[in-house]
Amino acid sequence: MKRGLALLGLGVVALVVQGALATLVVPPWCPDLALLVLIGIGLRWDGIAGGLLLAACLGYATDLLSGSLLGQHSLLNLLAFTGTGVVARQLNLRGSWPLAFFAVAVTFLYGLAMLALSGFFVGGAELRLAWLGSQAVHALISGACAPSVSALVGWVSGWVDDDPGNRVLGFGAVRRSA
Amino acid sequence: MPDLLKRIGAPVLFGLLALVAVITMVSDRRSLAEGGRDLPWWQAVMLEIAVPVQDVVAAPVDGIRGLWSDYVALRDVRSENQRLRSRLAELEEANLQYREALVASGHLQQIAAMRDDFEIPMLPSEVVGLDVMPWFRSVLVDRGRAHGVRAGNPVITAEGVVGLVTATSRHAAKTMLLLDRQSAIDGIVQRSRARGIVRGRGTDQLAFEFVVRGGDVKVGDIVITSGLGGVYPKGLRIGEVEELLDPAGGLLQTASLRPGVDFGRLEQVFVMLRRGPTMDLLYENEARAPVESAKLRPPRQPSS
Repeated sequence: MKRGLALLGLGVVALVVQGALATLVVPPWCPDLALLVLIGIGLRWDGIAGGLLLAACLGYATDLLSGSLLGQHSLLNLLAFTGTGVVARQLNLRGSWPLAFFAVAVTFLYGLAMLALSGFFVGGAELRLAWLGSQAVHALISGACAPSVSALVGWVSGWVDDDPGNRVLGFGAVRRSA
Repeated sequence: MPDLLKRIGAPVLFGLLALVAVITMVSDRRSLAEGGRDLPWWQAVMLEIAVPVQDVVAAPVDGIRGLWSDYVALRDVRSENQRLRSRLAELEEANLQYREALVASGHLQQIAAMRDDFEIPMLPSEVVGLDVMPWFRSVLVDRGRAHGVRAGNPVITAEGVVGLVTATSRHAAKTMLLLDRQSAIDGIVQRSRARGIVRGRGTDQLAFEFVVRGGDVKVGDIVITSGLGGVYPKGLRIGEVEELLDPAGGLLQTASLRPGVDFGRLEQVFVMLRRGPTMDLLYENEARAPVESAKLRPPRQPSS
């Protein structure tokens, strides 16, 4: 429970930072930090049910800070979280390169799915070459940031783990045990 | 809680959450079509958290950017000053000629009446955050219900229309920009009075869809709000026609507009604390909060 809340908090902080970054960097060049946090959670979360709830909550938070319809990111977050969990069971995504490639693919597909959903509910969504180009840049930037964000998620996850056996030991703890 | 989640099972929970997401999407689409909504407290919390934090995060970088732009501005100030002086002289002369023409044709009274209609209390607000996602175009401003802002209030700058408030919390408001795909407003060409719909495309340009028959639209024409949508007052600048996209097309023709507002440098905006008649009809039962702002006079209406 504590771990879930901490990771949700990290996701919200990522969203807020992303919003502030967007005022400085042109949108495609701004990494999708919230999605990267979600991927990081998907790689580490044990039970799917709790993770789904976390993904949905993070999605609703994104919807509130974005111009999307309420529920749009939530739905896609559910798919992204489930997809990450499934792929992480088949492939080893712990290394930086595999994780970066996976994040590029997820971010790109997420954008396409968002366009499709917007087209379905709102209309006026056209798949243009310029859009695909900016989406590719966005995915690449996000992929480049994925290993560091995932490491941060791992650190927060370990720091507040409900199970003391999994808790990360600080330097002080190491010294004391020595 | 974890036991309950385990008992429900992941596939059922997935289905339930997806269903809730779809239902909220449909209901949000409906509320957007009605001009937005005031967020309940548990949703407003997100905006309340985001505004001060984004303000703090953006402050140092804004400072550096301001210093740099001041330096660049100082370098060009002399030549700019000369250019502006000569431009001012030209405009003063043109203004005199227009006044003479208006007095002569008896339109001055009409213009004065329009200006009085246009005296809407306006609230200066700071843009504190852009949309967190690159696929949507909205901004977060630092004024909310406590300052009299309501969903459906138009947002403008001196350069023209910015967008519409779609969701409010106590101290913040989410504004959908003109550029967003969900945005559509009624516009007219200032020169020829040709009418059409201005739609956002999700890019930095707008689409102006108009009926070809009698639709006299040329590159360089200024498009203003018609006031017919019932949301924006008449005469606010929307943008300038940049390109006619399908001159030999069918019944509907589309022009590409460059927005009057530079959305890349949006910092201060004005929220018009009045909803158009359409919005007032939708919200007629809602009590109006006291308005704390001073009356500011918006830019002059363009003359016909």
